[in-house]
Amino acid sequence: MSLTEARPADAEPPGEPPTSRPAWRRAPIFPILLIWIVLTALLVAFALVVPARLMGAAASPTMREIETTFTSFSLAAAPVAALVWAILLYSLVAWRYRGGGRPTDPGPPVRGNNRVQVVWVVVSTALCLFLLIWGLIVIQPSTSEASSTQAPLVVDVTGQQWVWNFEYPAAPGAQSDELYLPVNQRVLFRVTSKDVVHSFWITQMGVKVDANPGATTTISVTPDRLGTFDIRCAELCGLYHSYMQTHVHVVRAEEFRSWLATAASQAPTGEVPSPSPSGTATS
Amino acid sequence: MSATTVETPDTSPAAPTPEMGGFIRRLNAVTGVVLGLVLAVVAWQVSSRLLPQPEELSHNHHDDAVMIITFSVWAIGFLIGIGAFVGPVRWLLGRDLTEADEEFLAGKDQGVARYFRFTTDHKVVGIQYLVLTMVLFGVGGLLAMLIRTNLIRPGSPFLNPTEYNAIVGLHGIIMIIATIVMVTGPFGNFIVPIMIGARDMAFPRLNALSFWLLFSAVPVLLAAFPLGGIATGWSAYAPLSDQSPLGMDAFLVTIVIFAVSSGVAGANMTTTVVRMRARGMSWTRTPIFVFGTTTSVALGLVAFPMFMVAMILLAMDRGLGATFYVASGGGSPWLYANLFWLMGHPEVYVILLPAFAALLEITPVFTRKPLFSFTAAVVGIAGIVGLSLFVWAHHMYVAGWAPALNGPFMVTTEMISVPTGLLILVLLGTLWRGVVWTRLPVLAVYFVLWNFIIGGVTGIYLSDVPVDQAEHGSMFVTAHFHYTLMGGALTATMGAVAFWFPKMTARMLDERVGKIGFWTAQIGFNITFLGMFAVGLAGQPRRVADPSSTFAAGNLVSSLGAYVIGIGMLIFLYAIVHSWRNGEPAPGNPWGGKTLEWQVPTPVPLENFAVPPVVTSDFYSYGEPPETPAPESVSVSRPADAVAPGERPLEGSAS
Amino acid sequence: MRVSVGAAATVLAGVVAVGIAGTAFARSSASPPLLKATVNGTAQTPQGTLPHAFLQLDTWPDSLAGPHGKDGGPHPDWVSYGPSTNLAVPAHSLVTVTIRQYDTGEEITNPFFAAVHGTVDGTMTVDGATVRSADPEHIGHTFTVHGLASNKDPLFVSVPLPAVADDAPVRADGYPAPHVVTFSFVTGGPADYVWQCEFPCGDGTYAKFGGPMSEQTYMSGTLTVTAQA
Repeated sequence: MSLTEARPADAEPPGEPPTSRPAWRRAPIFPILLIWIVLTALLVAFALVVPARLMGAAASPTMREIETTFTSFSLAAAPVAALVWAILLYSLVAWRYRGGGRPTDPGPPVRGNNRVQVVWVVVSTALCLFLLIWGLIVIQPSTSEASSTQAPLVVDVTGQQWVWNFEYPAAPGAQSDELYLPVNQRVLFRVTSKDVVHSFWITQMGVKVDANPGATTTISVTPDRLGTFDIRCAELCGLYHSYMQTHVHVVRAEEFRSWLATAASQAPTGEVPSPSPSGTATS
Repeated sequence: MSATTVETPDTSPAAPTPEMGGFIRRLNAVTGVVLGLVLAVVAWQVSSRLLPQPEELSHNHHDDAVMIITFSVWAIGFLIGIGAFVGPVRWLLGRDLTEADEEFLAGKDQGVARYFRFTTDHKVVGIQYLVLTMVLFGVGGLLAMLIRTNLIRPGSPFLNPTEYNAIVGLHGIIMIIATIVMVTGPFGNFIVPIMIGARDMAFPRLNALSFWLLFSAVPVLLAAFPLGGIATGWSAYAPLSDQSPLGMDAFLVTIVIFAVSSGVAGANMTTTVVRMRARGMSWTRTPIFVFGTTTSVALGLVAFPMFMVAMILLAMDRGLGATFYVASGGGSPWLYANLFWLMGHPEVYVILLPAFAALLEITPVFTRKPLFSFTAAVVGIAGIVGLSLFVWAHHMYVAGWAPALNGPFMVTTEMISVPTGLLILVLLGTLWRGVVWTRLPVLAVYFVLWNFIIGGVTGIYLSDVPVDQAEHGSMFVTAHFHYTLMGGALTATMGAVAFWFPKMTARMLDERVGKIGFWTAQIGFNITFLGMFAVGLAGQPRRVADPSSTFAAGNLVSSLGAYVIGIGMLIFLYAIVHSWRNGEPAPGNPWGGKTLEWQVPTPVPLENFAVPPVVTSDFYSYGEPPETPAPESVSVSRPADAVAPGERPLEGSAS
Repeated sequence: MRVSVGAAATVLAGVVAVGIAGTAFARSSASPPLLKATVNGTAQTPQGTLPHAFLQLDTWPDSLAGPHGKDGGPHPDWVSYGPSTNLAVPAHSLVTVTIRQYDTGEEITNPFFAAVHGTVDGTMTVDGATVRSADPEHIGHTFTVHGLASNKDPLFVSVPLPAVADDAPVRADGYPAPHVVTFSFVTGGPADYVWQCEFPCGDGTYAKFGGPMSEQTYMSGTLTVTAQA
């Protein structure tokens, strides 16, 4: 009967030099390697094409960075997933017990393989570090933003069950239910809520921050694509959470200025002839 | 089956202790329900009248307080009515239970009736948990079918938003409760004591208490529907939960009851495993399944009180007018979010660890190989448990609570992938060159490794702060956690059911029907949730009753896939029920397993072992020679003449 | 064979269970009947000559006069719109809505909703006077229409409804004299929208957005823009 295997071969990460020609060309390494290559290719193709297409055209550098991160993480994950699935597939083909009833002979009594375990832990830690470093770099504010001398356009966003409304402190009195932004200018959103927790989400700009009652959260973005994009609420907020949506229109700077001026001029002034409290109207 | 081998001192007291009266012996679930209902109605009427009515509309807490009191009294009344407190009360009165009483409570010679009473035998409690969990999955699954039917086309065709939100929230909490108990309840209770060579758990009465507490919570939860439902998801975010209709009170009482139930069970399981392992079963010889369930319940002991506290604060907000979560009163929604996620993240590992540990127990049996590195498995489990307490705020990256902490939480969250990877390595290493006997239990391993890779990788995306900024609150998150919890944990549990079915029901599970149901459910599952990743990336938020027509195609695909899941699960359910009633009688060790539960006869005798076993090696010695001088390779030994009269001889352990 | 029958029967039983539950939910959401705007003539608008549709609504301080019947349904003390909360208006028309507001009120929490938005030339008439906003200190309710971002023709209309004075005398029918608010807006193509009141007037629950504010058929409903017959 078989004692511990001389070297229970395992798929070494590609790129490491083969220890000896027969070893990695023999089953089970070689077939698993082949399956692994095919699966990796399929997953890489998927990762390069599908997520970015689903996420739609990015309307800000933030979103572009998110899409790039998503793709790069997918590319890093592809060989790992492919390795696991390749071993699974091969095990069903080559190591399956095909007799009837319970297997009489046991498998090789292997209790661990230090080299494999070490390599696995080292590689998974390295991958983890790669993801972490990438992520930590991305969340730093970009240098262009940090060194920008231009003050951002401030927009006050208020979420209330179940409508968003926007105000522009730069033009007092300008209020709107739809967001208008000038292209290529950094915007600072100051977001709050009048009641429950909502979440202010501009899908294609990668902007999302919760709207909390009693607090103001901020997020900034530089829209760099003209067009109209969707704003949705991303935190269940009650009855009409589904319908708490509006639009953002990214327009040229001149268009924005004229829109803002019109909005400010249309603001109801302080003096409003309100109906007399006693209600003189007849029914 | 005489119990005289137990170490009870047989000194007769001067006057014999009176046994429990016949009345007490007739207490069961029906008397529990009756007493619970009666006391609940009384409490409802009394509190309705005694609690002050709101003087003005701005302080409308009366109804909430009445509801909370009513539901709590129901639970206590039910427990009294089923006889949960008989033991402690008699002890307080100085009339401890007699031997015969204890045997009666353990269900001796009572047939099926013992499943409907406060029975302390861990095997009975295990079966009770199995059935209750299946009922919970049935109800939760039905709600899921309603959700997906409403999303089959835009326009919210048959549910109004209030109903939809209530159904989504209740589907969530029912499934969360079901997945938390689905492995530790049935198998932690039935199998683990046998697996460690014990006769029962450390606290058999607490064991029964934990089950009946959970049972009493179910009608409370379902009462939320007629009370207006809940406006929140199962995460009950404040302050929307402050605003919700009366159904929210049913929800929060359910959680408090559930937290007590799981706390009691956690204390019981941990004590049992730490103190009652058989002689010779050192930690290195303890089966990995025991590690998985024990760490899971211990983690739950730390985590679930957070949820309970969060709900108690909510009860005070709703019932007393406190403002813990109300910003205008000085409170903060972030208080709730932190309390909730301090529970919520460890909780997913509470769900996952026993399921994974079951797979780690199953795989050696069906590959006829030792577990590839027991040490790596234990280190992986320990790493997951340790790290899981420090990652909670990755659910709050966009909440605005502490943006400076986003980076550190990203670090801890991504680090969990390393110990998780270790567990996957152990599974793959055990499969490597094994004799893969493709019965249903090990099929679960394959599907879990497919599903969990997808779930785990998508979790990595979400752990990254910038990507989470795009995907938080979208259907991408929903698809991710269904892949890990349903594709991973639930699938593993279905494998565990197939694995331990012969021991628990004395029947073999119909392999053909079971496999058809299993495959159908898995195919439907992947269709449903891959489609859901797509709509999530495209921008559909979570918990919306009426998603835009932009997402119509993806939602249609998901809904059709959900129907396929339903069909598959129903077929699997039929396999279970049919086999339980008419299946082929099971031998004591149909799979040739080496752990102790396979060495006892089926059906398992009341006290499991006639003679407590002595363990001299671990239980993964497949293929290892038994007669070498090294002590490690000897399998379980027992006194050669230990077969008691009337007991079926133990199955020979496979070498 | 018996096993196949058993499995099929289980699946069928599951389907039936889902069907029963679904039907129970669908039936229990009592929907008030659709209130259709009446079309009467045409009107001149900046978008050209369009059919002119009229809709008449009321806001009541309780549920006794709205769509919940004379006894007010399960919550007689909840404020409610009437005669129905499911509204239908024709596409590509000028819709003129008249609301009789019978309820008292308070200061509004979000001054955005004290102003008129989305109506033709941004005004409304209150008891005959044309205004662009109402006094934020005395708002009774609002009528706010909005919809999904994917609607081809987005519609956002929000009109504040001034409050009746707390000390206004009550008439014979049990209600004070209402404020009459009239406003008009132009509809686009056929689509579904929702509307709700944005002035927190619910029961004592948090932010006063519970109770009637969080349940359809009281302070919220649907607005369907239908293709013209």
